[in-house]
Amino acid sequence: MSKNKMFIKRRDGRIEVRLNDTGRAILYESFGHVVAAERDPGHDWHRSLNSPIDPSSDDDNPLSMLTRQSQISTNAELAFMTRNEQFINEQEAWAWLTTMQISLRETAFANGILNDEKWGSANDSLRDQIQTLQAFLFELAECF
Amino acid sequence: MASVKPQRVETTSSQVLTDDAVSTMRPWNVLVWDDPVTPMKVVEVIFKKIFGYPNSKCTQLMMTVHNEGKAVVWSGQKDIAESYCVKLQVAGLQSTIEQP
Repeated sequence: MSKNKMFIKRRDGRIEVRLNDTGRAILYESFGHVVAAERDPGHDWHRSLNSPIDPSSDDDNPLSMLTRQSQISTNAELAFMTRNEQFINEQEAWAWLTTMQISLRETAFANGILNDEKWGSANDSLRDQIQTLQAFLFELAECF
Repeated sequence: MASVKPQRVETTSSQVLTDDAVSTMRPWNVLVWDDPVTPMKVVEVIFKKIFGYPNSKCTQLMMTVHNEGKAVVWSGQKDIAESYCVKLQVAGLQSTIEQP
């Protein structure tokens, strides 16, 4: 059963990563984009990563905004640093899951996929890219 | 989500709560919004990790997000609601807070 799985939870709590070079390259790109987006205010994803917390207010609490920025960066950098590991611990797995999820959502939004109708009419290349990330995320989520 | 009605304490005018005080007491909701690409399983795992809810509640909330476009996943004090909202955003979900 576990032969074809990409992520396998071990008895000691660690998660074994069975991705080939292509899979690792996708992680590299995915994690790298989130790291870049947090650092670069000109990045396509930057604005979306700083979306309102309380839309009824003109400004969000600066402390909350700083906390969000810091935590997204920490997770993205941890995921990026451990992208080639064969085994990851729970904290690293959480960083992978959250960073991949951000990458998935931002990829979709940046391509105008804001609802099911748009998703249904996405081009094949974009669908492949998104479905690959969805498959990674689904399997990794099964390990929690 | 039911809101807390403005409260009045007995009769003296000095004891009547001001609008600001009533507003402060009303609970804040943490909302999670649907998107077309996030796997359902991922939403459940994030709810469980952040709130510690039982699996059945995580599934129920995830289905509400999926079917209704959004769900109130927590209600209470503003600072705590804000903190949960940030955690959900850090985990890659679309989340906001509101005071209904």
